[in-house]
Amino acid sequence: MDLIWDGLTEAIGLIFSGDAYVYEVTYTSLLVSGSATLIALVAGLSIAYFLAFRAPPGRTLAFIALAAGMALPPVAVGLLVSIMLWRTGPLGQLHLLYSRTAIVIAQAVIATPIIAALSTVALQALNPNLRLQVLALGASRWQAALLLFREARLSLLAAVMAGFGAAISEVGATIMVGGNIKGSTRTLTSAIVLEVQQGDFETAIAFSLILLAVILVIVAGFTALQQRRSGQ
Amino acid sequence: MTKRPLKLGAALLLALSAPMSASCGGDGETELILGATTSIQDAGLLDEIVRVFEEVTDYDVKPVVGGSGQTLETARRGEFDVVMTHSPADEDSFIADGEGLDKRTVMRNFFLIAGPDNDPAGIAAVAGMDAAFERIATGEHEFISRGDNSGTHRREQSIWEDLGIEPDGNSWYQVSSTGQGQNILVATDRDAYTLADSSTFTVFRDRVNLVALFTDTVKPNVYSVIRISPEEHPNVNAAGAIAFAEFITSVAGQCLIAEFGLEEYGESLFEAARGCPTSDVGG
Repeated sequence: MDLIWDGLTEAIGLIFSGDAYVYEVTYTSLLVSGSATLIALVAGLSIAYFLAFRAPPGRTLAFIALAAGMALPPVAVGLLVSIMLWRTGPLGQLHLLYSRTAIVIAQAVIATPIIAALSTVALQALNPNLRLQVLALGASRWQAALLLFREARLSLLAAVMAGFGAAISEVGATIMVGGNIKGSTRTLTSAIVLEVQQGDFETAIAFSLILLAVILVIVAGFTALQQRRSGQ
Repeated sequence: MTKRPLKLGAALLLALSAPMSASCGGDGETELILGATTSIQDAGLLDEIVRVFEEVTDYDVKPVVGGSGQTLETARRGEFDVVMTHSPADEDSFIADGEGLDKRTVMRNFFLIAGPDNDPAGIAAVAGMDAAFERIATGEHEFISRGDNSGTHRREQSIWEDLGIEPDGNSWYQVSSTGQGQNILVATDRDAYTLADSSTFTVFRDRVNLVALFTDTVKPNVYSVIRISPEEHPNVNAAGAIAFAEFITSVAGQCLIAEFGLEEYGESLFEAARGCPTSDVGG
């Protein structure tokens, strides 16, 4: 228990002393996981809209695949992305392995099925005739989609939070494709792993608490947005 | 409808790739991928080597950490430009197979047996590593093995082989499958014996209940730098690999190693192979 207390003290010290290393890894985590969530959001919403309103053949199978994809083992994703990005792999010429971009790709792959599956459910919960009504009233397809997303925004925000949470807390794939490089691909989670490997448990706990604080602030922001909108 | 999000996604990717590549340098000229073993990272030396090397050159180093076995295996695929490992037999076959060249000794530390301070096997009294291992096996005292084909695991295997003992499958022989530092923690937790390198043990000394009972000064643990063969793997950054090998064996690189850890632990963590002329702590 002493260790957790020491970690808490150190976390507070690190946050308020303006420690450059802490800010750097926090910035990397936010940049990488934020980008991955944005990409997963665009991909996930497109898939969800298609599945919910276009009702393609094999929709149930596709949904099962997405739902199973929510439990996609991050290490397996990391391995797959690594093999694709290896110098000897199909995308080796891009020199993306061990870069922030590589982590964004891996995290986006992890977050997309989560956002897609949860958004599909959210959109299916809407009245199926709503889209037809909106279109009949003269909305363009794009306007109709925006309106439907707006209708389902409470559940969609929850989907985004779940996707972001999965991305920023992920570490297996992050280290595998990013390499845990100081000043470039070291995120909050990979910094925690490194501190544990180096036996510096106070700092590891401090970084864990900072990660929790970051997630808390972001989720609180999303929730405020969600509740304010729903109160209108 | 279905096309707009795609365009949006593409625009988003483009917008994101700017700040990403700025800090990562995605081109093949300056990118130098260094395969290194966990003990170099766990001691904290790796970050320091990369920082100083990037200061004195234009290379953008991407260190990738694994056990020596894993590092050399990945290097055989041409994924690294240069490696720093500590498994002499694996390194020699790596070079014999034409995969690597220009092996240079960088630094060394010592293998030691760490164990509980009441030392039930009486390791502190032995004369050699073989005798120590024999006592652990005959007394069936719990021993934690890395089990990950790392340099430390390789040394451990070679000692068992010399003794003609097959430890696998015995209840006293446990495999942790973790890096050097974690392995020491597992051994502490179980009050067991383990083989560790002196640098990592120094870093963990104050955090564990284990003590160093026997240090093998006859056969040190030698770390070498090896360049990956550009003939075998045309994709490698051969110039960058030479620059790194030169740097790490230069006075600047050797002094960096010799002085590393002095401030924090009161002693050098690694012995620089060529020593450091301006410091009396080198090899």
